Amino acid sequence: MRLEINNVTKKFKHKTAVDRFSMVIEVNDCVGLIGPNGAGKSTLIQIIADILSADEGYILLDGQKISTKKDQIGYLPQYPNFYSWMTAFETLLFMGKLSGISKSHLHKDIPLILEKVGLEKEAQAKVGTFSGGMKQRLGIAQALLHKPTLIIMDEPVSALDPIGRREVLNLLKEIKKETTILISTHILGDAEEICERFVVIKDGQKIEDATKTQLLNRSQESAIYLTIRKEDYEWLNQVENLPYVKGIENFGDGFKISVQQMEDDAYRLLQHGMDRKIGFKKFEIGVRESLEEIFLALVVKV
Amino acid sequence: MNNFAVLSKKEFDQMIRELKIIWLPVVFMLLGLMQPISMYYLPVILEKLGGVEGILIDPTMARPDGSEVLASTLGSQFDQLGIIILVVAAMSVIQAEKVNGMLAFILTRPVSISSYIGSKIMTHYFLAIFSIAIGYAVSYGYTAYLFTSVPIPQAILAFVLYCIWLLFLITLVTMLSTFFNSPAFIALVGIVVLLLCRMTAGLHPLIGALNPAGVSLRATSVLATGSMGDWWEVNIIATLLIILGMALIIHYWIAKKKF
Repeated sequence: MRLEINNVTKKFKHKTAVDRFSMVIEVNDCVGLIGPNGAGKSTLIQIIADILSADEGYILLDGQKISTKKDQIGYLPQYPNFYSWMTAFETLLFMGKLSGISKSHLHKDIPLILEKVGLEKEAQAKVGTFSGGMKQRLGIAQALLHKPTLIIMDEPVSALDPIGRREVLNLLKEIKKETTILISTHILGDAEEICERFVVIKDGQKIEDATKTQLLNRSQESAIYLTIRKEDYEWLNQVENLPYVKGIENFGDGFKISVQQMEDDAYRLLQHGMDRKIGFKKFEIGVRESLEEIFLALVVKV
Repeated sequence: MNNFAVLSKKEFDQMIRELKIIWLPVVFMLLGLMQPISMYYLPVILEKLGGVEGILIDPTMARPDGSEVLASTLGSQFDQLGIIILVVAAMSVIQAEKVNGMLAFILTRPVSISSYIGSKIMTHYFLAIFSIAIGYAVSYGYTAYLFTSVPIPQAILAFVLYCIWLLFLITLVTMLSTFFNSPAFIALVGIVVLLLCRMTAGLHPLIGALNPAGVSLRATSVLATGSMGDWWEVNIIATLLIILGMALIIHYWIAKKKF
């Protein structure tokens, strides 16, 4: 489903949570909504899920209002809450019926989805006894149960242990071919795995909207990262005076060397070191910045 | 309509799991018992406490008619302690789901606000009618046994009138439950409003005719005197309009997402 967010603004008493936010998500796209705590991610997600209403602007799904398309949306709130007196199975039965799925379908589908989110053993356990992570899994199950064409998830994996995180990410990867997905997170690694495109939000405003490759290319820095034995640190003085070296910086447990022409110079530098029998531990060319660092820079900079 | 059924079923399931469907009728059964029994033993109690000196109570004088006893079950038991209990039992009808996020969550599904509100009011109204019917039946039986029996059509008419007042009560509490987040505050406001209605209903015929509690008074007067009083049609229509108005306010409130 195509999701169009147009100039959405939401003000609370003392602050503007979402400020003239626009974006379009094409059919079967996967977008990660990234931002620090309090950036307005959850507010925006809740507006899309039609829980909050926008003060200005509008949101369209396939050109229509969201309220007419609710059976097509799978929504996972940040802290999913269910009736503590229902079992996991009953919860899914209840939510499924509200989405208009027939009872016989549900009896067939619920065990499958429970197995996928790793709750098959807890099917008949009361939700009141569930841990936070188990509720999160149940929340994911209810969001996927009615096979929606748009999935909106607010921090889907933040509350899960590494195994749960892996299971859920695999689950999302499985359905992403035929589903439009919007997930918000402050943990980049998660979004990075399933989404190709990222939208960064800060103070309610969109400050970046790009694909992973674009981002990496943009901030690529031609530099050589190397680690050598302590005894060979002398050599660095010679390196500094080489004509093609622009500078040396400390970087982690090694050094970052900037050169003029990446490929030729890296080769020359390596040759130079080999000739002098330098003990290289690591020699790396190109990008060292992870997406994490790029986002950090983006968010802190503005 | 389908979602209305799903939501109503959930409400009933919840009432069963929380045993509300048992304790509320039991409470009203006790309330229903209290009036005939205490009125039956009143002369004895007075005699024991008052001794032989002072006022002399003539036992034949003190024994009231069965219809009066049943009328005072509605007027003195159900309309006082009964109101308080019903309000407390229904105070978190929407508030609880508002606070834990279930309301917003349910509305992300293709569920209309009317079917949500409808299921809430209907199920709690049903529970209230069920509880009161049991209490009333017990009271009726004991009254017939200890005093004189009340003609059944009269008893049923009074009950039907009383159910209109109950619908007002449930809708009012549901509305307050939509407005406020504190159960104690909901209960307090609810009880004060209902008791105020009840107190002002008898003051003036005009106020009585526009006051939902007037319907409750008419129920007791059907039992005590056999007549519903003047302007009963106005009273019923006014009450139903007030109920409709409150339902629309709840709908507006939830639709505007003010919860």
